[in-house]
Amino acid sequence: MKTRFLIGFIAIGLVFPLHSISQTLPSGQSIANKTHTRDEGVSLSRKLTMELKDKRGKIRIRETTSFRKYFGEEKRLVIFYLTPKSVMGTAFLTYDYPDASLDDDQWLYMPALRKTRRISAANRGDYFLGTDLTYEDIKLETRINRDDYTYKTIGKEQVDGHECFVIEGLPKSKEIAKELGYSKTKLWVDATLWMLRKADNWDVAGNYLKTIEIKDIKKIQGIWTYHKIYVKNHKTNHETIFRIDEVDYQTEINDDAFTKEALVNGL
Amino acid sequence: MKNKPLTATTFFNKVTSHHKIILTLSIVIMIAVSLFIPKMTKDTSYDAFLPKDDPILAFRNQTKETFGLKDPMVIAIVNEQGIFNKKTLQLVYELSERLKTISGIDPDQITSLSTENNIVGTDAGLEVDPFFEIEELTDKKALEVKAAIDNFELYEGSLVSNDHTTTLIVAEMLDSYDKKQHEVYKSLMKLLDEYKSHNEQFYLAGEGAVSGYLIRYIDEDAMKTNPFAAIVISIILIFAYRRLRGVVLPNIMVLASVGVALGAMAAFGVDFFVITNGLPVVLIAIAVADGIHILGEYYETAAKHPEFTQKELVVVTMTHMWRPITITSVTTVAGFLAIAASSYMPPMTYFGLFGALGVFAALVYAVFMIPSAMMFLKPQLSKAYKSDQKIDYFGKAMAFIGKVVIKYPKAIIAIAIIIIAFGIHGASKLEINEDRIKNFQADEPIVKADALINKKTDGTSYLDILVETPEVEDIFEPENLHKIEALQTYVETLPHVKGSISIVDFLKKMNQSLNENNTAYYRIPDDRELIAQYFLLYSASGDPTDFDNYVDYDYRLANIRLRMDTSEYNFEKPVVDAVNTYLSQNFNSSTIKATSSGKVTVDAHWINRLGFNHFVGAGLALLVVLLFAALSFKSIWAGILTIIPVSISVLFIYTVMGVLNIWLAVGTSMFAAIAIGVGVDFAVHTVDRLKFLLSEKGLPIKEGYHEFYKSAGRALLFNFLALALGFSVLMTSSVPPLSQFGFLVAVAVTVSFIGSLTLLPAIIYLVKPKFFSTSK
Repeated sequence: MKTRFLIGFIAIGLVFPLHSISQTLPSGQSIANKTHTRDEGVSLSRKLTMELKDKRGKIRIRETTSFRKYFGEEKRLVIFYLTPKSVMGTAFLTYDYPDASLDDDQWLYMPALRKTRRISAANRGDYFLGTDLTYEDIKLETRINRDDYTYKTIGKEQVDGHECFVIEGLPKSKEIAKELGYSKTKLWVDATLWMLRKADNWDVAGNYLKTIEIKDIKKIQGIWTYHKIYVKNHKTNHETIFRIDEVDYQTEINDDAFTKEALVNGL
Repeated sequence: MKNKPLTATTFFNKVTSHHKIILTLSIVIMIAVSLFIPKMTKDTSYDAFLPKDDPILAFRNQTKETFGLKDPMVIAIVNEQGIFNKKTLQLVYELSERLKTISGIDPDQITSLSTENNIVGTDAGLEVDPFFEIEELTDKKALEVKAAIDNFELYEGSLVSNDHTTTLIVAEMLDSYDKKQHEVYKSLMKLLDEYKSHNEQFYLAGEGAVSGYLIRYIDEDAMKTNPFAAIVISIILIFAYRRLRGVVLPNIMVLASVGVALGAMAAFGVDFFVITNGLPVVLIAIAVADGIHILGEYYETAAKHPEFTQKELVVVTMTHMWRPITITSVTTVAGFLAIAASSYMPPMTYFGLFGALGVFAALVYAVFMIPSAMMFLKPQLSKAYKSDQKIDYFGKAMAFIGKVVIKYPKAIIAIAIIIIAFGIHGASKLEINEDRIKNFQADEPIVKADALINKKTDGTSYLDILVETPEVEDIFEPENLHKIEALQTYVETLPHVKGSISIVDFLKKMNQSLNENNTAYYRIPDDRELIAQYFLLYSASGDPTDFDNYVDYDYRLANIRLRMDTSEYNFEKPVVDAVNTYLSQNFNSSTIKATSSGKVTVDAHWINRLGFNHFVGAGLALLVVLLFAALSFKSIWAGILTIIPVSISVLFIYTVMGVLNIWLAVGTSMFAAIAIGVGVDFAVHTVDRLKFLLSEKGLPIKEGYHEFYKSAGRALLFNFLALALGFSVLMTSSVPPLSQFGFLVAVAVTVSFIGSLTLLPAIIYLVKPKFFSTSK
C-alpha cells in the first residue's frame, strides 16, 4: 500500500514538474525586493581602483578613494582621483535620489580649472566615467531594480560555487528600455545573501551587450562586501575591472564630505 | 635544330598512336582544373595592388587597426531646398537606424547627424548630447540643429555641405565583409530605393562602395567581352578554313588555355583582380594563333598530298609546325613573365604568371591535343586551299604587299625612322597617372555620386597622419597639440585638401563650451592637466568611444585625418610629398614623430612605381625575346632584326598615348611587355621563312619574296587578324583601363605585323645580311 502511494506521488511529480518547481522558486519581483533589504551599512569608505582595458589590450588605471553614505533612501557618493597624476585631485560627487522621476545631481571638480562643473543629468543608461558600467549600474551595485522590469524566475544555477536564483527581466516599456540602454537582462542573485553575482544585458537592438560579474564577496565588519567587479562589453570588447580595498563601514563619515565645498578641499 | 625532324616525326607518331588516351586525358585535365574556377574570390580593393608585407601597406593596416578605421560606404542625402527641415532630418534618422540592421555594416560605426553628439557648454558644465532626439524633432528643432552645426566647425564640410543642401551618412563595414562589398552595396541601394519617393536625392559612394560596385561591374563586363571574343575568333577561323574542325579545335585550345590559367589561379587561392578581367580575352586571342598555324599547314599539306592518310597528314603537319609555334609561344610566355618579374603589384605579377601559364597550356594542347583529336577525323580539304598553285584573295593581297616592298624599300625605312623619332619624344612625355573612379564609364551612378560628394563636401579620399609620442598621455602636452594644429593649418592650404580632423578640434570645442561658448576660447588650453581633466569630464557624459578614431587609449598616439576631393594620383602625389616634407621638418624629434598613411599615401606609393615597372618590364621582355631569337637563329643580327618591328610598335604607342592623352596607368602599363611577346611572332615567322626560302632553298630574292608572301604571309595575316580583333574585343569592355589596354595592344600588334611584313623584308632586301645569303 505504501509503495503504491509512493509510485503515485512520483507519477504526479513527473506529470506536473513545472508546477512543482514554480511553487518552490520565489518570484522575480520578490527577489528584486529582497535585494533592497540587505544591510549595506550607512557610511562606507574604500579604495577603488578602476582598470579599463580597450580591445587592443591597452589599459588605463585610475586609483581613487571613495566615500558613500545613505541619507535615508538617498545615496551620496564621492570619488577622489589619486592617479594618474594628470587628474589627481579631480573629484566626482553624485546624489542618487530614490524617486526615479527626479534627475540625479552630479558634479565634477577640476583642480586645473579650480572650478566645480555640474554634469548635466545623465541618462541612467549613460556610461559612468568611461567605464562599462552605467550610472544605473553604479547606483544599484549589488541590488536589483524594483520598478522598471517585469521579472520571471527561470531556475537555479551555481555562480562561483554559490547557489543563485536566475531571473530574467524585460523593461516595462520602450521608453524605459531606451533610458536604461537595455532591452533584456538576465540576473543571477545569491540565494542566501540576496546579492547580485552576475548579470547579462542586451542592448536596445537586442544584441548581446555585456556581462557583469561581482566577485570576492567577503564579510567585512559584519557586512557582506564585494571586492571586485568585472565587466566585459561584448560589442566593443572593452573591459572594466573595479578592485576594492581598505573597506571600512565603522568610521563615521561627516555629512559635509558630500558637498561641493568638500570636493574643492580634497582629501 | 634542323637535324631533328626524325625525332619529331617519331614523337608525333607516338602521339598519334596514343590519341585516344591523350584526348581523354586532355579533356579530363581541362575539366578538372576548370572546376576550381567557381571558388575564385574577387578583390577589387586598391590595397590589393601592394603585397601584404609592403611596409607602407602594413603601416596603414596598423593605423587602421589602432584607430578602428575602415573603408566606408558614404551616403549623400541632397535636398536642394536645404536639409535642415523636419522631413530630411527624419530621413537621416531613419536611414541611420535602418543601416544598423544591414548585414555587413558595423552598427556602432555609423556617423550621421542623428548619431553624432553636439558638445555644448552650459552655465555650469558641459553637455554632450545628440544633435536631435527623434521624438522632439520639429522644423524649429531642425533650425536649432543648423545653428549647432554652424557652431561646430568640425562638422562643416565633413558631415554637412557648406551650402546646407547635402548631408552625409558614413557607414563602416565589418572586416568580415572584405571582398563581399558588392553584397553590402546592393543592400544599401535597395534600402535607398525604398525612400525614393521623397524630395531628396540619394548618392552612394566611398571606398567601400567603389570596391563593391567594381566587383559587380567587372562581372558584367566579363559576361559581355568573353563570349564576344570567342565569337569574333570563330568568325575569323571560319574565313580562314571554312571547315567545322577548323573552328572547333582552336576553340578547344582556347578553352584549355583560359581554363588552366583561371583554374590554377583559383586553386592557388589567388584573387581575381580588376585587370584579371582582361586575361581571358587576351588568352583567347593568343591561344588561337597556334591552332591557326597548325590547321593552315594541315590544309596546305592535304592539298599538296591528297594521297596521304590522316595519320601521315597529321604527323607531317606537326613535324613542320612544332618549332615555329614553340618559338612564338615561348616569346609570348617571355612577355608575360617579364610583367611578372618587373611588377611589384600582385595583380600584375599574377596577370603575368597565370597569363604565361595559359599560353604554355595552349602550346601543350597544340602539341598533344590537336594531333590526337585530328586522328578521330578523316582527311579533309579546305576550300581555302584548293590546289597548290591557286591562291585566294587573301594570298593575292599579301603577294601585292611583297611587290610594294621590293619597289619602295627606302621609303619604308624612312617612315620607320620618323615613327621612331616621334616615339622617343612620346616616351619622354608619358604621363603616369591613375584614378580609381576612372575604372568606370563616366555615366555610371557611382561616378556621379563620387563627383557630387567631392564637390559638395570635404571629399572621399582620406590621408591619415599618425602622430606618435613616447609616453602615456604625452598627446595632452600643449606643445604637441599646437604642433598638430599647425600641421592641420598647413595641410589645409594644399590643393585639393578640403578639410582635416584631429583630437585638437574636439578639444578646442570643449574649451570653448566650458568657457560660456566664448569663441575666443576656441583654442588649445595651456595646461596639460586641464586637458586631461577635460577628457575625464567628457567621459562623464559622452560615450567613451567617441574619440577612438582620433586618439589611442593611453593618449600616446593621435590620428589626423585629411580629406581630399579627388582620387587622382596627379593631385595626391604632391600632397603626400608636401606632407612628408613637413613631417620630416617638424615631427622628427624624440618627443614627437609623425608618419603619413591612409589611402592617399598608399596610392601615391604604388602608382609611383608604375612607370619604373613599365620600362623595366618592356626592357626585360625585349631582352628575353632578343636572346631567344638570337639563339634559335644562331645569329645575333637575326635576333636584332627580329625585335625591330616590336620596338617600333611600342614607340608608336607612346606617340598614340601622347596624342590621345592616355595615361600610363595600371591597365595600360602592361601593354608593352604583352605587345612585345605577342607581336614578335610575326618577325619570328618572317625571319624563319625568308631564311628557309632564300638561304636553304636558295631561291632568287624576288621569287623567294613572292613565295613568302603568298603562303606564310597569308597565315600571318590570319594570325594578325585573330590577335588584333581579339584585343579589339577588349575595347568594347566597359572598364576603361581594359578597353585602353586592348586598344593599345591591338594597335601595337598591327604595327608589328606591318613592320614585320614591310620593314623587315625591306631591310633584308637592301642590306642583304649574310644570314640570308645562299649557303649552298
